[in-house]
Amino acid sequence: MKQTPLELRITKKMQPGVITLNGFLGNDDRHFHEIIADDEKTLEKLGYTAEQVAERMQYFTDLSWEFYEQPVEVEGKYAVETEIVRGKLPCPFSHPGVYRKAFTILTNTETGVTIRWSSLNLHLIKAHHFFEGKGSTYRLDPELLVKTLF
Amino acid sequence: MIKLILTDIAILTVVSVFFAILLVIAQRFLSNYGILKININGKRDVSVKGGNSLLSSLSEEQIFIPSACGGRGSCGACKCKVIEGGGPLLPTEKPLLTKAEMDSGIRLACQVKVKTEIKIDIPESIFNIRRFKTRIAKIEDYTYDTKGITFELLEPGTISFKAGQYMQLETQPYGKVKQKVVRAYSISSGPQNDKQFQLIIRLVPEGMCTTWVHNYLKEGDEVYLTGPYGDFFIRDTDADIIFVAGGSGKAPIKSMLEDLEVKGTDRKMTYFFGARTTKDLYLTEYMQHFEQVLPTFQYIPVLSHPSADENWNGRTGFVMPFFKEVMRDPKNTEAYLCGSPGMINAVTKALVEMGVPTEKIYYDSFG
Repeated sequence: MKQTPLELRITKKMQPGVITLNGFLGNDDRHFHEIIADDEKTLEKLGYTAEQVAERMQYFTDLSWEFYEQPVEVEGKYAVETEIVRGKLPCPFSHPGVYRKAFTILTNTETGVTIRWSSLNLHLIKAHHFFEGKGSTYRLDPELLVKTLF
Repeated sequence: MIKLILTDIAILTVVSVFFAILLVIAQRFLSNYGILKININGKRDVSVKGGNSLLSSLSEEQIFIPSACGGRGSCGACKCKVIEGGGPLLPTEKPLLTKAEMDSGIRLACQVKVKTEIKIDIPESIFNIRRFKTRIAKIEDYTYDTKGITFELLEPGTISFKAGQYMQLETQPYGKVKQKVVRAYSISSGPQNDKQFQLIIRLVPEGMCTTWVHNYLKEGDEVYLTGPYGDFFIRDTDADIIFVAGGSGKAPIKSMLEDLEVKGTDRKMTYFFGARTTKDLYLTEYMQHFEQVLPTFQYIPVLSHPSADENWNGRTGFVMPFFKEVMRDPKNTEAYLCGSPGMINAVTKALVEMGVPTEKIYYDSFG
């Protein structure tokens, strides 16, 4: 598939060693458009949108930020905490701004499942519906997200 | 018929080649801005080759404006005031500038292209910033994810800095990382030894610079850094001091304490070191050494998540509830904080509620 110059730039920024050590695509050989479309279809089947998922993630992130990196119990079945390290990351889609290396760690205490997302993950889902390629370090599987967040 | 098609193709090729050559020639002349002057603080002119970014043009002249992303327009650290020239504000700059900054002519030096003569204002302290060639003298493991790295200066051979300032470390390409990466780290040694300095670097998951430091860097390697940068340093007053810093945030505090050990002080000082578990504690004996040589200093580690099998008998939870144990006169207390924005916000809020004036709270935020 022929890529536009913008798509080429985005794909280049998603490669390992450009913005993050291992990149955003993992071992997924699909074009990022296909990754986005497939994940959107998965969400549609589950009855959710990327915006709804992002909104729920933002809710937990905001709550954990109020408690200065200490775990906080939410809704009786979630333990949430934030971990922040030095530095910021830009968006590979060339979206303006930079995103703190702040990670929200959420454990659903009923299922025992823990998921972890960065400020950049949250932005990528909210603004671009991009959950990252399969095998990527910070890939967030939409199905697992829905099961854990709602 | 075929002859006609071939003739058309030949004509088209000749015309395309002609325009391509014309474009190359035009680019060469139109984008040749010649040598241009940058006037700095109304005092000093430097002549640079036009067409490059203000950041790299100044860097060529050994004037190093802070930049944590290496000029990619993502960190927003290279702010400087452009009084004249510089062209219009770019969309890439707007997200990283406040309205007040935009109104007062603040720009990102990495985004401003030098295409005309430019007048800028930068802090005088920037002239003290140099690019140093160093050799790794020592690598020490402090915890499972934190190392102390000592750099021996090769060229220039000495450095002058204030305790609390930071350096920018340049990586070499390695593994999947094909480009140089630049990141900022606080100096953790005192300024008295001007022939070497130390940085404390914690491994960041997926971090391109910290992975290089932790997994690739060896003693004896040559490394380049620029600095010193920053205005996080102890103010020369008689106020009591509260230090709060966890993790690698200990670096500038250690530098300040080493400096105070040499200079001597009778200011009452307390350092609250926040960590999750005993595994995250480091340099504890060294901190206790400061309690011996600086009788008015106290080191208080506080653990947020000690497990039962750690047998931790010290303080637990947040650091803030323990401030009242040491606070004498809030109005005459200064705080020096280094860490995440969350920690800094929470600690600042607690200190202000206790009566510490906001203007006496100094911090170096990871955010």
